[in-house]
Amino acid sequence: MTAREILGAPAVLTVAPRRPTLRRLRRGVSASAVFWILVAVILILPIFLFLAVAFSPALLGQGTQWFTLSAFRQALTGQLLTGVLNSLMIGISTAVVSAVIGFGVAWVVLRTDAPARRIATGVVFALLLTPSYLIALGWERLLEPSGVLDSLGFDPSGARSIIYGPVGIVVVLTVKGVPFAFLAISNALRGLGHEFEDALRVHGGGRFAAMRLVVSLLSPAIWAALAIVFAESVSDFGVASTLANDAHFPVATFTLYNAVQAFPADFPVASAVSWVLLALVVLALVAQGRALRGRSFRVLGGRSRPLVRQRLSAPAKALVTVVLGILVAIGLGVPTFGAVSASLINNLGSLGSHAWNLDNYTRVIGSPDLSSPLMYSAGLAAITATVTLVLATICARLLARQGSTFSGRLLDLVLLGAVALPGIVFAAGYIFAYNLPLTNDLGIHLYGTTGLLLLAYIATALPSTSRVLVGTMSQIQESMGHASRVHGSGALRSWATIVLPIIARPLLSAWLLTYTATLLELPVSQLLAPPGSEPISVGITNALGKYDFGGGTAMEVLAVLSALVVVGVGYLLFRLLAPAGWRNLGKAS
Amino acid sequence: MNARSCIAVLGVIAVSSIALAGCSAATNATTSNATTGTGASAAAGKVEPLVLYAAEAYDVNMGKAFTAKTGIPVKVVDDSTGPLLTKVAAEKNNPQWSMLWVDGDTAFASLDKQKELLDYTPSATYTSVGKTLVPSDHSYVPTGTTAVAALIYNSAATTKVPTSYSDLLTSAYSGKVGMNDPSQSGPTYPLIAGLMNQMGGQSKGVAAGEAYLTKLKSNGLKVYPTNGDTLHALETKQIDYGLIQSSAAVGETLKVKATGTYAPKIVYLPKTTLLPGVIGIDKAIDATQQAEAKKFVDYALSPAGQQVMQKADTAGDSLFWPVVQGSTKLAALPALPTTYQQLDPYFWGPLQSQVVTWFDSNIK
Repeated sequence: MTAREILGAPAVLTVAPRRPTLRRLRRGVSASAVFWILVAVILILPIFLFLAVAFSPALLGQGTQWFTLSAFRQALTGQLLTGVLNSLMIGISTAVVSAVIGFGVAWVVLRTDAPARRIATGVVFALLLTPSYLIALGWERLLEPSGVLDSLGFDPSGARSIIYGPVGIVVVLTVKGVPFAFLAISNALRGLGHEFEDALRVHGGGRFAAMRLVVSLLSPAIWAALAIVFAESVSDFGVASTLANDAHFPVATFTLYNAVQAFPADFPVASAVSWVLLALVVLALVAQGRALRGRSFRVLGGRSRPLVRQRLSAPAKALVTVVLGILVAIGLGVPTFGAVSASLINNLGSLGSHAWNLDNYTRVIGSPDLSSPLMYSAGLAAITATVTLVLATICARLLARQGSTFSGRLLDLVLLGAVALPGIVFAAGYIFAYNLPLTNDLGIHLYGTTGLLLLAYIATALPSTSRVLVGTMSQIQESMGHASRVHGSGALRSWATIVLPIIARPLLSAWLLTYTATLLELPVSQLLAPPGSEPISVGITNALGKYDFGGGTAMEVLAVLSALVVVGVGYLLFRLLAPAGWRNLGKAS
Repeated sequence: MNARSCIAVLGVIAVSSIALAGCSAATNATTSNATTGTGASAAAGKVEPLVLYAAEAYDVNMGKAFTAKTGIPVKVVDDSTGPLLTKVAAEKNNPQWSMLWVDGDTAFASLDKQKELLDYTPSATYTSVGKTLVPSDHSYVPTGTTAVAALIYNSAATTKVPTSYSDLLTSAYSGKVGMNDPSQSGPTYPLIAGLMNQMGGQSKGVAAGEAYLTKLKSNGLKVYPTNGDTLHALETKQIDYGLIQSSAAVGETLKVKATGTYAPKIVYLPKTTLLPGVIGIDKAIDATQQAEAKKFVDYALSPAGQQVMQKADTAGDSLFWPVVQGSTKLAALPALPTTYQQLDPYFWGPLQSQVVTWFDSNIK
């Protein structure tokens, strides 16, 4: 892999000499090596060391044995095996449901004239920002005995037994999965011209056949969506410790959760469970590899035709609005109710005799507990989003072009593996890797600095952001770049004038996705934040932990609103400032 | 990059990281048991910042007050107990904390066994209650105490008040009692261990306590994640009795105006288990920081320090019973129950994982 290939130019032009000069070879090797060293530093090393603890606790001071398999013996109990099967089922269900909904929303936004399409992107980002525990809390407020439905005279016991179980877990995780699926699929759908469907319809194909064609042409993006949502779901900690725990429905992370919560934390057992989670991810990758092997999806070239928006009938528009409304109610309405009602009520967010007022907001807005952590987190999220975007573009390019090579498959495994490990495990791996006495003695003090927290944020965001861009990157036909090079452009110029305009909007979505996902990230923030600096998520958790329920939820609502403002401003600036050509891709005629 | 060079890169990473970690572990093994604090860094008058890992509502205020008094900077990592202890465990190879300050002494007993704590006898004089909480080797320092369980009940919904734990097994309390989940709530394992200690003692272990909790479960015990959730269940009449930490229970009675439907009151069933707030000093810090940390501990136990603790969160963590002479409890806090017990953290600490797993499988 050379720098030119990374940048999207052909490795060898027809006019280039066959034997590379020494300078070019050195430059090519170094670009590739720099990228892999970076991936190794931020992803492979922390994960590798954490996984090594399962076999060698003494390696990182977590026990006395230099080689043992006892952690696996402890971890592989009946409960874990049940948990693995449950996680597999939950992961597959969530991935499929999220991909279907994500595809549906992307289709409505890009291919129809439904009025609801105008707010869909905002809704998706709001879903992304809603923490899973808040969604669970919203459901509990609705369904609990003496809760909202009870006080309104309904009997929610039937719904309670459904939500407090696998169905509820899938619902909550789907709400968290839809944004990833939507962004991955909509980015690719934007790059799919109308010429394929036209050709099929001309040859007598019906609407269903056209839809099937679109789905198969979008395979890389759909598989990227399935893989990322699956990995996010099997590694989820928030729902495992709340809904799954309350419903006595063991999932794979539950054993891990207990091992990390004990004192002293049993990292070898947590590491053994992580191996199991990685095995699940390998299964997901095998499925993806089999589905995409030997096919090409490069549909975005110089001759792509503009899209045609379907004009929906009035009943169809109403139906789309209702379906989107249901999604909003389940994904946003319930948790918003939970959060807002709690933040408007003094004390513990109970219903009934408490006064509803804005006291918590006035108290929080003027408090340094909100302003400085929020500014600190917003700054870090912006830097993370920018750096991640550059790395994710390179990763997505490599995955799209080299999916079947060893290094491509390795990158795929590393990226997805990083998602499959719960955040707390990932953060502990960072402590193992960057808090070694030896590095300290050498004068390298990374742990406990904002720099290391940033690296961990980037590593946490990179897998998801790369996958969101994979669909787009799989579509680009190289002929455009070739044409530009033949006409005298350098590699960088041809990338900036040919590739960048095509991927500008997906890049913006990816930046905003990373920003919003990083702003309220909790486990990595808790373990790696420098002493004396508090990210907003830790501030919110502390407020809630000290029974300041109203203050904590008010901070949360304000943080979410601030992120939504950033999303709005981002899209507005793109509309105002981006050249017309950048905005044309995916535009319907 | 082809497969061969990829494997080479990975091989280099694997070997170098194992070598780094291995060397570190070996170095650590030889240095961690050595007495730290060479004179080089302990130059007279030199000030080094202290790093305080703490899960108390008054920790940040205490850091500021101490800095104002002594000029010694304190960087506070303020978080919940769970993540802090995970951090401490992950840093075992190379601790970055100077002091740890959380509720409960079982984690400190474990750290003491691993020889990670610096023994220190503070200058303050302990009360009779305080003396029961001080470990014989002075490896950690109690700064105040709360208790588990406080039984908080809704006197507007029930007139029945239990006088012993066995009362809760009768039909009058069926389906009306709630408690927290020990896998999510820090103060709840000490509560359960307290029951086991009272019913079986160290000689008979956990069996009698397990039998009691099983009967309580048969009588309709409800389990909620944390103090806040159990209080919410009490407020919304899902339960009439909640077994929680004393500071959360007293805080609730202070925050809530009693109405015709909700009027919380508290009773303590014999025996109440003491749950102290505890500071431990990391043995690995240099002599300068050790001297500073000892000053911090002495300040926390001084009348001025105790006042800082009592002003920070008057409806929560500040509601502790002082354990040193010269400090009086907040007026809003009732007297400490007369029948209390102190758990041996060296015996009950190592059983935590086993008991929590049993509770998960059988009681929740």
